[in-house]
Amino acid sequence: MRIRPGAALTSAVAIGFGVITLAGLLVSDDVSVISDLLLQLVVVTIAITVLIGLLNLLTVHLGRIFKTQGGWVYSLVMLISAGLVIVLTILERTDVIEPDVGERAPSAILLESVQVSIESALGGLVFFALVYGAARLMRRRVTWWGILFTAVLMIVLIGALPVSGLSRLLDVRDWLLEVPVSAGSRGILLGIALGTVVTGARVLIGQDRSYRE
Amino acid sequence: MDSTTQVFTILIILIGVVLTTLITQFTRRKKTPYALRNIPAYAVIPGMIGAAIEANRPVHLSFGSAGIGNENTLLALASAELMFNVIERAAISPNPPIITMSDAAAIPLAQDTLRKAYQSRDMLDRYRASSVRWYPSGPRSLVLAAALTGMMADDDVQANVLSGSFGAEVALIGSQAGRRNQSLIVTSDQLDGQAVALAMSDEPLIGEEIFVAGAYFNDRRALLAAAVTQDVLRWLLIITIIILVILNVADEEVGDILDVFLGG
Repeated sequence: MRIRPGAALTSAVAIGFGVITLAGLLVSDDVSVISDLLLQLVVVTIAITVLIGLLNLLTVHLGRIFKTQGGWVYSLVMLISAGLVIVLTILERTDVIEPDVGERAPSAILLESVQVSIESALGGLVFFALVYGAARLMRRRVTWWGILFTAVLMIVLIGALPVSGLSRLLDVRDWLLEVPVSAGSRGILLGIALGTVVTGARVLIGQDRSYRE
Repeated sequence: MDSTTQVFTILIILIGVVLTTLITQFTRRKKTPYALRNIPAYAVIPGMIGAAIEANRPVHLSFGSAGIGNENTLLALASAELMFNVIERAAISPNPPIITMSDAAAIPLAQDTLRKAYQSRDMLDRYRASSVRWYPSGPRSLVLAAALTGMMADDDVQANVLSGSFGAEVALIGSQAGRRNQSLIVTSDQLDGQAVALAMSDEPLIGEEIFVAGAYFNDRRALLAAAVTQDVLRWLLIITIIILVILNVADEEVGDILDVFLGG
């Protein structure tokens, strides 16, 4: 078997750091000093990835604008907005723009009045998208599981209505949420946990593709 | 972390590492490979990629808010494995796959996955780092969903494979895919996202199934071993829960252990 030096080095670093961090979290306080340091390094590295992200944002959207690809106007608006917000934040941090006492910073006003309201509007749309999803499920292929899914969804939604005379439906809804839904949720979470353990073990023994090739 | 949880955690990690190591060796030596159970989503993905290549339209892959350095790091790695296999098949298309994410820490992982997939097909000259797109937003942000619905229309995407961390906002992406007749496979580690994914995906991909993607796309024994290990662990867990439930009926103290096990 041919071992590439680069792959061997990255595997060794990943395995070493993984074992030290794990030991620091689980076993000894002495090791936790080193693992804390490693976790701090991770935080710094993640901060650097935001810069990579900004570069990516610029590259992708400038590319779209110069090639006049579909949606290039949105890219232009996005880049101008991003630039303005960055400039505004710099001006605030350097005290060039100082809000009066008791007033909020302009960047906070922007966030609350633009982003929060747009996200709230989108949140309202999610409801319609969910109803569309349930309809799509039945339109695509009628299966017993699909019927069960839609029936449960209807019971839970109707049971949540503040209408008198639905007490029996409310009991069914509560039972559904407490027993089958809770059990199913735990089953899915246990499954994800199992997958995480196996993937983690593969990383620890150097079998993951990220380090292998 | 209390001592009982600490002991259980160490025990589970040890069992995971030992089983993975042993089963990998055993699987490598076995002459006939294990038969894997059918997962419909993995069966339809090659067809989706083929349709995208024929239509000269891109495949869209997304990590959602999964990334490196947070609680869903391993989910991001598992998703990268699936994406590698999808990109490797879609590499011959003149329209390169698009990878999106909202966590900046997933950018290097996505670019590395893209580059390795092209490299494995000896087509590194076709690799474009700009095929990876970052949409900055929070972990459950509607901004990513809104941005993706726009991107899916602008880039005339043929198929979407969303594997990572998504909340209920994935319904917006699903409805956009439905309106534009685009194929869609979604899986998420968030329960509300997973529920929406079940309703909107062309084929469901649930829970731990994302972690065995590699085994379904190539015959590498190490990847097959991971799938077998997961199955063995699942059966061990089922047997343990059944035993603990039986013991719980006889002895209330066992109930505390069961609570630790099931998080309740």
